[in-house]
Amino acid sequence: MEKKLLIKYVDVDIYQQELLVLKNVQLEVHSGEFVYLVGKVGSGKTTLLKSIYHEIPILSGVAGVLGYDLRDLKLNDSPFLRRKIGIVFQDFQLLTDRTVYQNLNFVLKATGWKDQIAIDEQINSVLIQVGMKEKGYKMPHQLSGGEQQRIVIARALLNSPEMILADEPTGNLDPETGNELVELLYKIRLSGTTVIMATHNLNLLDKFQGRVFRCENENLAEISDESYI
Amino acid sequence: MTQVKAKAPKQGLLNIHLTSTISMSLVLFLIGMVFLLLLVAHDTSTYVKENINLSVILEDGVGKQDVKRIENFLTESSFAKSVDYISKADALKDHIANLGENPQDFLGYNPLKASIEVKLHAAYANNDSVTEIEAKLKPFPHINRIIYQKDMVSLVNDNVKKISFILLGLAVVLLFVSIALINNTIRLSLYSNRFLINTMKLVGATPWFIRKPYLMRSMLNGLIAALISILLLGGVVYFVQYEFGISGMMFYSLNFLFVAFIVILSGVFLSAVSSYFAVGKYLRMHSNEMFSM
Repeated sequence: MEKKLLIKYVDVDIYQQELLVLKNVQLEVHSGEFVYLVGKVGSGKTTLLKSIYHEIPILSGVAGVLGYDLRDLKLNDSPFLRRKIGIVFQDFQLLTDRTVYQNLNFVLKATGWKDQIAIDEQINSVLIQVGMKEKGYKMPHQLSGGEQQRIVIARALLNSPEMILADEPTGNLDPETGNELVELLYKIRLSGTTVIMATHNLNLLDKFQGRVFRCENENLAEISDESYI
Repeated sequence: MTQVKAKAPKQGLLNIHLTSTISMSLVLFLIGMVFLLLLVAHDTSTYVKENINLSVILEDGVGKQDVKRIENFLTESSFAKSVDYISKADALKDHIANLGENPQDFLGYNPLKASIEVKLHAAYANNDSVTEIEAKLKPFPHINRIIYQKDMVSLVNDNVKKISFILLGLAVVLLFVSIALINNTIRLSLYSNRFLINTMKLVGATPWFIRKPYLMRSMLNGLIAALISILLLGGVVYFVQYEFGISGMMFYSLNFLFVAFIVILSGVFLSAVSSYFAVGKYLRMHSNEMFSM
């Protein structure tokens, strides 16, 4: 199977407001890859992910994601890019005014699903995948941090995206549950979905093989398998 | 495992901010009140104007055919609302009824003259038009003179103009006040939703998909506020009619329908426009900016 180029960054400078976070970023990610982003707190992992889903504008270089030119992408078009990406947000970004079920329902409705039976099936299937089948009726604030995290992962899986961006998906989880979820993401990769994961949990890198990028001193560099520790 | 059922979340119809609805309905009540006053003032002036008589006093011994000709001319003209011929005998009867004595007794003859009483349409009840009407009647023979209370007419016209002007000014000011208030109320209630709107953006919802439920909800809210204010207005109108017994005089029901229409329209329209722009503001905003506002 030929691998599709999903992300291509050439000479990209990424700014968080006026502050330069990463400069001269070169990044190529293909379909089916499992990519780790490591680096200290504040080194720009989240900012890089935000730039991929067009929350942070890119002003220099060449930046293409899933066939969209990020430098040319209109505000009205960014929803369509985001639909192709499943995003696991560091701060969850759940709709706090409605139940878990309604959160997932909103995403499906917003992305054009019409058939309520199909919607219910899809919601059930992702909730089962993350082991939260019984919690659909709860409000986000009634869930623990780890449970919310799992709902966010379920939400990212809803539209069978070509690419999943996960920002610290194991941050709020016990090691066991964390492993389970990463394993889930790792399995999804086998069906051709690319996973890009920012993490501090270096143990994962041993268990689940993947490409590793390190953010350091405003630079993004790929490091070989052995040297990340 | 025992499960504690979570409280069902507030949704749909119940998810309306009661305080904002009430403050909106009070503003709409004021708008409706001013419009109602404006219409009542207009109706009252029409009523007064159309009850001022233009009297065409005829000479004694005028022939029936001449009277008929003048009467026909008046009935067919555009300015006359009603035309009544009052013969000498009728005039005498009126006089006796009004003053209680018969001038024939001491004069020996009937001094009163026959006349044609014309009530003008409100649009013609001003001095310019009356002068023209006088000119048109001049060619007819046997007209003694034409009486019209020009002073009274210009007094009525001047006052109505002044009152209408003041009310209109008040309506404009109130409209601005209400736009500002409604806009503020809606923006405040949407401000608390700014992070939700941002989240919706992040999960791939289009701007219109995000806007739609907010628009629907605030339009519904505006409609409810309008209905509340119509109830209030209805109460005021009922009280005024009941207390002062002037129900028959004004054409209240039609006016009231018109005012109700204006109140509903402005309630729904203003809420829709305000929430459209308020949501749009957060749709354009980056999440970074939301923390620093």
